[in-house]
Amino acid sequence: MPDSMLIDSGPQLNDQLLTPAAISKVEVLGAKNTRRSLLDHIFKPLVDKSNTDATIGQLLERINHASAKLQRFDIFREEGYGVFISGANNGQPSDKTEIDVSFRVREKSRLVFKAGTDFGNAEGSAYTNAEVRNVFGGAESLSVNASTGTRTRSAYNAVFSTPVNGNPDLRLAVEALRSSTQKPWASHEEQLAGGNLRLAWATKHAESHSLSYSGIWRQLTGLAPGASPTVRADAGDSLKSSITHTFTRDRRDRAVLPQEGYLLRTMSELAGWGPLQGDVSFYKSEVEVAGAMPAFPSGLANGIPVTVGGGLRLGMLVPLARGFSFTGPAQPSRINDRFQLGGPTDVRGFKLGGLGPHDGGDAVGGDVFAAGGVNMLLPLPRTGPASPLRIQLFANGGRLVALKNQSKATEVSSESLGMDSRTVVNGLKSAVWELANGLPSLAAGVGLVYAHPVARFELNFSLPIVQRVGEQGRKGLQVGVGINFL
Amino acid sequence: MSTTWNSIPVPRPLQQLFDSVPLVTYDANALPTRAQSNTLCQLPTLYVFASERDARLGLPSYNPSCLKWQTFLKLAGVEFRIVPSTNHASPTGALPFLLPVRTSPTTTAAAAASSAPIPASRLQRYALDHGSRPPPPNAKTLRLDAYQALLDVPIRNAWLHTLYLEPENSPLLEKLYVTWASSSGWVQGTIRHQLGRAAEGEILKTSSSLSAAGAGELDEDAVYSAARDALNALASLLAESETGWFFSATAPTLFDASVFAYTHLMLQVLSEADGEDAARLGVLVGQAGSGELRSHQQRIYQMLWPSQIWSEGESQADKTQ
Repeated sequence: MPDSMLIDSGPQLNDQLLTPAAISKVEVLGAKNTRRSLLDHIFKPLVDKSNTDATIGQLLERINHASAKLQRFDIFREEGYGVFISGANNGQPSDKTEIDVSFRVREKSRLVFKAGTDFGNAEGSAYTNAEVRNVFGGAESLSVNASTGTRTRSAYNAVFSTPVNGNPDLRLAVEALRSSTQKPWASHEEQLAGGNLRLAWATKHAESHSLSYSGIWRQLTGLAPGASPTVRADAGDSLKSSITHTFTRDRRDRAVLPQEGYLLRTMSELAGWGPLQGDVSFYKSEVEVAGAMPAFPSGLANGIPVTVGGGLRLGMLVPLARGFSFTGPAQPSRINDRFQLGGPTDVRGFKLGGLGPHDGGDAVGGDVFAAGGVNMLLPLPRTGPASPLRIQLFANGGRLVALKNQSKATEVSSESLGMDSRTVVNGLKSAVWELANGLPSLAAGVGLVYAHPVARFELNFSLPIVQRVGEQGRKGLQVGVGINFL
Repeated sequence: MSTTWNSIPVPRPLQQLFDSVPLVTYDANALPTRAQSNTLCQLPTLYVFASERDARLGLPSYNPSCLKWQTFLKLAGVEFRIVPSTNHASPTGALPFLLPVRTSPTTTAAAAASSAPIPASRLQRYALDHGSRPPPPNAKTLRLDAYQALLDVPIRNAWLHTLYLEPENSPLLEKLYVTWASSSGWVQGTIRHQLGRAAEGEILKTSSSLSAAGAGELDEDAVYSAARDALNALASLLAESETGWFFSATAPTLFDASVFAYTHLMLQVLSEADGEDAARLGVLVGQAGSGELRSHQQRIYQMLWPSQIWSEGESQADKTQ
C-alpha cells in the first residue's frame, strides 16, 4: 500500500528535515461516513502539544504512521488515497516551518455482497456473504455468512467487529453461529449453535493474539448405521463454555509456499472449570512450529530454489473437575473435544482421522498427540523461482494416544466414569510415554504442489511405512487442498 | 479432500509395492476412557432412557416404549444389559434399539457392519431368535388390534399429558428427561420447550375430542376420561382371561409387556410425584375394573425384577392404604 502514498514534498523539505516544524492543520477529505471521533484517535497525536519541538523529519514519520494506521481500518480504497503536505499559509510569522497535511481518501462501499467458493483445510465450500463496513462510522463491520460445503452441510454466522479505542490493531468482535457438519470418519454429524466474544490484537513483527470466550451447544446426532459404541455413547447434547487464547507469529515469506522463515502458533483452551460451567471441563493446549529454508544458501544449485522445510505439532487435553475443584472427579474427554490426526493436510499418507484409536471404523480421537514432517521442495525442470509449481518429497508421521483409565478393572462396574486427579495425572503420564513407544506411524511420498494465492493444492503419491492396527493409511494418490499444511 | 480411483485396475508391480507396506505394524491403539466400558462388555446392549444407577442395576426404564421392549426381552429370556442413552444415538431417531455383541474385537469396518443396531421394529424377531424361553406369539385377532389401539391412543395420550404437560409433574419431567441431557439452562430450556411442543402435537394428532375446547386446544378432561375407559376395557379383558395373561395366553406375551410398560410407570413413577393431578393416572390404573391391572403389573414385576420387590414393597403398601 505504500505505493499509493504520495508525499508532495517540496525540494526545500528534503534539505531541511532537521528544521523545527509544527503541523498547523490536518484535513481529511472524502471521509463522508466516518465519525470524527475515530479520526481524532488517529490525528490528535499529530497536532498534540508534545509536538512542539519536533523536526520536519519526525513529523513526516508521524504522518506516515498515522496514514498506515488509517489504512489498516480497511474502510478506504487503495486507489484515490493520498497524503499531501504543503507549507502553511496562515500569514503569521513564526520561527518554525508550519505545514498543513491533507489526507485524501475514498471510502469503500459500505455494503458488499459476495458469493463464491472457498477452500478450507480439507474442505471445499460455496458461500454467500454480506458485509456492512463502517456501520456506525467508527470502522465497525457486520458480516453475515451462509455456506454449504462438501462436509459442512450448512453454516451460518454473523460477526460484528469494532476497533477498540480507535485502534485498528485492537478489535473486539462478537459472533453468533450455527452449523451442521458431517464427520464421516467417526460416523456422525455435529450440529453447533452458540456464540463467542473475541478480543484480537496485533503487535509489530507479524505477531497476533486473540482471547475469546465461547459458549457452544454441540449436538452429536445423525449417526451412521455402523457407528461404533464409542460414538453412540457420546451422542446427544453438551454445552462447552470456554476461554481460548491463540498466539501466532508468522515470519514466513509466503504462507502457502514458504521458502524461508518460520511459524509459531499456540492455542490454549480452558473449558468448564471454575465459573465457566457447561457440560465439559478440560484444559487443552496445542503448539505448532513450522519452518523453511533454502537448501543451498551459497547457490550450489545455480540459483534454483530448492528449499527444505519441517513442521512439528503437539497437543494435549487434560480432563478437569467441574467447578473450582482441583482434585474432584474429572469426566473423561468426549469425541468432539479430542484431537484427530491424519489426512492430506496434516499427516499425509493417512486418511482423515486415520491415526490414533479406532473403534470399528470410527476414528474416536485421542487426548495427546505429536506429529511432525519434513519436506523438500524442488522446482520443476525449466521453471523459474517465480513458478507456483514444485515437486515435493516428504516424510511425515505422528502418534495420537487416548488417555486410559489405569484402574479399568474396577472402573467398568463402579459408580461413574469420573477420575480423580491422580488417575488423570497417571493416565497422562502413560499416554505421553506411549507416544514414544515404538516408531510413530509414518508415511512418505512424492508429489506435486501448486501454490495458488488462495490455497495450496497438493497431489501426492504416498505409502504408509509404519502403522498401527486399525489406523487407516492411504496407499497411492491423495489430493490435499488447504492453507495450513504440516 | 481425498479422492480414490477405485475403478482403475492397479498394475501388478504397483500392487506388489502396495502389498509390501506398511513395513511395520504395531498393535492397535487403546480406546479412550469413555469408550472402555462400552466396548469391553460381552452382552448385547439395549439403549434406553434410564438413569445411570438404574441402568447399572438393570431396573425398569422410565420410558414406556423402552420399558415395553426391556420387559419383552426379559420375558423371552434374552441376556442383555441396558445403558442410558438419548434419541440422538439411535439409528431410527428413537429409543430403544439393541446393539448385538461385536463378533470380533478387531477394529475393521466389516466387523462393525456385522453388528449393526437392531431397531425396536425388529426386536420381537430378535427376541424369538435369541431368547432362551420365547414367549407365545401374540393372538392374531382383530381384538388384539382393537386393544393395541387403546394403548397407542388414549393411554399414550394420557401418559404424554401427565408427564409433559401437567405442571405438577414438571419436576419429574426435569429429572427424567431434561437435566440429564445438559447442565446448561439454555440447553435445558430448549429441550423442555421441544418436549412440551412434541407431546402436545402428538396428542392433538390423535385426539378426536378437539371440538370441546376449540380447534388446536387440548381438552384435558377428555384425555383422561378416554384413558379411564381404555383402562377399564383392558381390566375387563384381563378379567375374562383364565391364565391371568391377556387373551388367555399360557405365558405373558408382547401385549402383556406393552400394557405393563404403561401400568408400571403410571403406578410407580407417578407415585413419586406430589399432587393429585400428578398421580391421577396411577389412581385410574388402580381403580380400573376390580384391580386386575394392578395385580397384572405386580405379577410381571415380581417375575422379572424379584430382587426389587421387598425393598419397594413396603413403600408401595404405605401408598395404597
